[in-house]
Amino acid sequence: MNFHVPVIQYAEVLPILIVLGAAVLGVLVEAFIPRSLRYVFQVVISLGSILLAFVAVVRLHGTSHVAVEGSVVVDGPTLFLQGTLLLLAIGGVLLIAERGLDTGGSAFTAHAATLPGSEAERTALASGIIQTEVFPLTLFALGGMLLFPAAGDLVTMFVALEVLSLPLYLMSGLARRRRLLSQEAALKYFLLGAFSSAFFLYGSALIYGYAGTVSLSGIREAISSNAGNDLVLLMGVALVTVGLLFKVSAVPFHAWTPDVYQGAPTPVTAFMAACTKVAAFGAILRLFYVGLSGLRWDWRPMLSGVAIVTMVLGVIWALTQTDMKRMLAYSSIAHAGFILTGVVAVNKAGLEGSLFYLAAYGFTTIGAFAIVTLVRDSTGEATHLSQWSGLARRSPLVASTFALFLLAYAGIPLTSGFVAKFAVFAAAYSSGSSALVIVGVLSSAIAAFFYIRVIVLMFFAEPKEDGPTVVVPPIMTTAAITLAASVTLVLGVMPSSVLDLIKSAARFTF
Amino acid sequence: MIHQSAIVTADLLGKDPGWLIIVKTLLVFVFLVIMVLLSIWGERRVVARMQMRLGPNRVGPFGLLQGLADGIKLALKEDIVPKAADRIVFILAPIISATTCFMAFAVIPMTGQVSLLGRKTAFQLTDLSVGVLYILSIASVGVYGIVLAGWSSGSTYPLLGALRSSAQVISYEVAMGLSLVAVFLYAGSMSTSDIVASQDKWWYVVVLFPSFVIYTISMVGETNRAPFDLAEAEGELVGGFHTEYSSLKFALFFLAEYVNILTVSALATTLFLGGYRALPGLGFTERWLGGWFTFVWFLAKLLAFLFFFIWLRGTLPRLRYDQFMKFGWKVLIPISLVWTLIVSTLRALSLRGAPTAVIVGFTGGVVLILLVVGSLFEAAKRKEQEALSSVITKPSHFAVPQLPMSISTHRVPSAPSRSMEATDE
Amino acid sequence: MNTLALSAGLTGAPEAVLFWILAPLIVLAAIGMILVKKAVHSALLLAYIMISLAIFYIAQDAPFLGVVQIVVYTGAVMMLFLFILMLVGVDSADSLVETIRGQRVVALLAGLSLGALLIGALGRSLLGAGIAGGAVGLDQANSGGNVQGLATLLFSRYVWAFEVVSALLITAALGAMVLGHRERPVPRRTQRQLSEDRFREGSELPGAPLPSPGVFSRHNAVDIPALLPDGSPAPTSVSRVIKARGDVLPTAPFELNKESQGEQK
Repeated sequence: MNFHVPVIQYAEVLPILIVLGAAVLGVLVEAFIPRSLRYVFQVVISLGSILLAFVAVVRLHGTSHVAVEGSVVVDGPTLFLQGTLLLLAIGGVLLIAERGLDTGGSAFTAHAATLPGSEAERTALASGIIQTEVFPLTLFALGGMLLFPAAGDLVTMFVALEVLSLPLYLMSGLARRRRLLSQEAALKYFLLGAFSSAFFLYGSALIYGYAGTVSLSGIREAISSNAGNDLVLLMGVALVTVGLLFKVSAVPFHAWTPDVYQGAPTPVTAFMAACTKVAAFGAILRLFYVGLSGLRWDWRPMLSGVAIVTMVLGVIWALTQTDMKRMLAYSSIAHAGFILTGVVAVNKAGLEGSLFYLAAYGFTTIGAFAIVTLVRDSTGEATHLSQWSGLARRSPLVASTFALFLLAYAGIPLTSGFVAKFAVFAAAYSSGSSALVIVGVLSSAIAAFFYIRVIVLMFFAEPKEDGPTVVVPPIMTTAAITLAASVTLVLGVMPSSVLDLIKSAARFTF
Repeated sequence: MIHQSAIVTADLLGKDPGWLIIVKTLLVFVFLVIMVLLSIWGERRVVARMQMRLGPNRVGPFGLLQGLADGIKLALKEDIVPKAADRIVFILAPIISATTCFMAFAVIPMTGQVSLLGRKTAFQLTDLSVGVLYILSIASVGVYGIVLAGWSSGSTYPLLGALRSSAQVISYEVAMGLSLVAVFLYAGSMSTSDIVASQDKWWYVVVLFPSFVIYTISMVGETNRAPFDLAEAEGELVGGFHTEYSSLKFALFFLAEYVNILTVSALATTLFLGGYRALPGLGFTERWLGGWFTFVWFLAKLLAFLFFFIWLRGTLPRLRYDQFMKFGWKVLIPISLVWTLIVSTLRALSLRGAPTAVIVGFTGGVVLILLVVGSLFEAAKRKEQEALSSVITKPSHFAVPQLPMSISTHRVPSAPSRSMEATDE
Repeated sequence: MNTLALSAGLTGAPEAVLFWILAPLIVLAAIGMILVKKAVHSALLLAYIMISLAIFYIAQDAPFLGVVQIVVYTGAVMMLFLFILMLVGVDSADSLVETIRGQRVVALLAGLSLGALLIGALGRSLLGAGIAGGAVGLDQANSGGNVQGLATLLFSRYVWAFEVVSALLITAALGAMVLGHRERPVPRRTQRQLSEDRFREGSELPGAPLPSPGVFSRHNAVDIPALLPDGSPAPTSVSRVIKARGDVLPTAPFELNKESQGEQK
């Protein structure tokens, strides 16, 4: 048997290698560096590796190549999404590294292995230790996210899905306060996530049964030559789609989202909400635009339906929420629907619109959750909506920044959200799905209502007597919020440079 | 890299007609049962000699039939199923133990090419391309017997014994599996007959001595034998997982334990001692008796391992459980991993045709690193010990328990309300 | 897919016999797994299903997959399951009250319809015209040996996925440590240190272990305190548990008689 020595283009997978390598380094730091120094080491390694990886991505720009025996595709969308993910991750890591907010020192538990409320937990809290394993976990998740939209075959895609999910399951359970809620969230996320992975895997097997290959280009060829039995293919596509839609939390696979967003430590929620959505939509775009583009007449109605349901139900549920984190969770569900309208366009405009939307949505989300970490009372974050009333009187700057993010979510002109929504709706309209556009615009209007309701609450309601305080944001959170706010504004006011970048990048290689 | 003679073995076995397979199955079964009876006798005799006793010498010549007599006695005892037991599983457990242990022997090559009932074949039931992994997998199913026995007894000691024992087996299986990797790398195959065939020049005990040592240690751990017989540490757990078993069901566990010893010994023989091959320089003996003489070599090596097991039992005290687990996870497994890395590098170098100087240089480098790391470790340990000993101060007074000088002369009060008969014995 | 290959006459007789013996049992075990009351029985049936599947794999010329299935799933994963079930003791007594009413029915219906859809799709595609040559490429894939074929694929075409899995494994190990490893605030005292402490303290019997129940006593039951050489009961000799339960017998009748002691001297 001839063994073909695999060719690995190290330069082209360098961003992924840097991030995963730094994660392994982080694990070694946990093992060998004394506890007092770990935090500094971990923060430096995490931020440094992300910046390095970003440089590597920038240096790769213009590459269009199928690397590592077909497992990794380095092309415009991949590089754009990887760059976006890395920038978002900087914001995420800054929030995770923040130690100036919580009186206990950090948003993360002192010792995850101790039972909530036990004597051991009190000892751990008193000793002032804080789990720093969250940094390597973040990097592992990020590594999986970088690979997810770049995967050139279903096997790699599945592995990337797992690599990005597993650390997130863990990180959701590490909250310092309301630990039982956090652990419940982690368990729910883990169980449902495992189910969805199984769906993805089963679907991949069926697609393999149809095409005889797992590579996306191979599947594309098999579909165009009509190789086998369509029923198997359709079942496979349906199951794979379930796995992917779960990750972007589209209805009806959204059930985990509110609980997990609420239970997880808020910095983790920020990182997870922004980055997972970007990575998972990247994978969806590649799968449907490259592998299954020949089958579009079959999957477009299905995805359109999901998009409509997701938008409508997302905004309606969001209307009824009284908790800030849950409201943002439902709004993220609704946004998954908006992005899907771009995906189902199946043309270049759709791809461009979706990419832009992902970038815009990601930064706004990081910023919004960062602000949620700032509004606190004695028990930690004050997330009940009523507690936010009159916030502008206490801290006009924080309230206005939050208002900016909410306006961006709502898609008000001069924010990134407007350009993004316009882009995806225009793409959907140009591809002839006007029904989708109508539903999208209507749901945007409803969404705008509840976003603006919060703004009204903050600016025009009387503050409560015993309401929460707004902490003056410490340096790292400030940096993250500044990053998010400036990107939101820049993408809203002068989106042309980014739109040009996307225009040149939005071409899949296979 | 597939060896010529191996293809012959696989082909030979492939041509076996159905009746021959049945005959061989029976032969393997009978061989194992007889070996078990003899090894029980042998163990008692050898341990007795080591303890300056005679051992069983009444039943049959030299007491040879002692095992049989014990077996019959066991079978005639009352079969008890405890009230709290989970009946089905309680009965199932010994059956699992006893069947799996026999299955593993199917891939052990016991002779080279021989003629059996007029057909050219080899005394090996079947040859799988993943033979050694097959044995590992059967062993891992065998653990179920132990775990289920402990759980289904519905009693605490057996449960604890079973958990101990299965944790032990699983832990040592990791080290064992890792020690086998080096053999696979050198033999270029996972089939038992290929591995024996590839040892025509050098036995792997010479080439891969660290692997052999790791395997030997973990095989003792894997079979729950002294000094690793923590699962049935009498002082702590009564009889371990089989505390509640009696009669034939207990006999099945007993049988399984000894067959397992035979299996791991036979595997050690196959992997490291050249299996049925003759000692170096005596290769001509392999053709004696139409090839059947190879069986003698196999048996001799097997018996050597059996003696080793008995010797260990007669010599070493039992380990403490935490020390034992620590040894497995923190010593054996890391060493196996490092060794596997070294071996695969060496193997890659030699297969790529690297010059001898490179190979020697690499080996020298590795030895040097090991020496440095080892001495650093030693130094750290010594420092720790010194720090410890500096803390220890002399005890305040002479530390010997005071002897109860006058206790025996006390008059004992009359018995209280509670019955005391039992204590008077 | 085995059935279909069988019905198409694609497999040899021994394999067919094996299949028709094992397949009904596997299905029964699968149904039983859901229906049995005890969690351990359920786990056992699952293990049985896994082993039977492994046998199918081996019968279909995938020996490596079959053996690895047993070693990894049956030997390690299911065993850990059993550990948990036995130690924690999950049983049917646990509350199974639905918190959302009717969800079980809905889930059942949805599950059944998905299953029917899958079976229908697979069945139609394979039993219908689709079967044309059945499984193809097996001989080609196994031409250099099953293990070698797998290794070639894993280390060339899929080497990237294979390597990235290591990130997953490291994450899993790290996660297990984070969630499960409880660091001691102070290092555990070793046996040696404990014994040294005992000597330094100079307890009742310096250096010796605690007296066991019944030592020097009239009675050797665990609930009877030992007597010290001077005839008084040793407070440490009865297990704390028994004391807490209040099962200790009155010690007075067992104590050495002070008067008789006096007489003796």
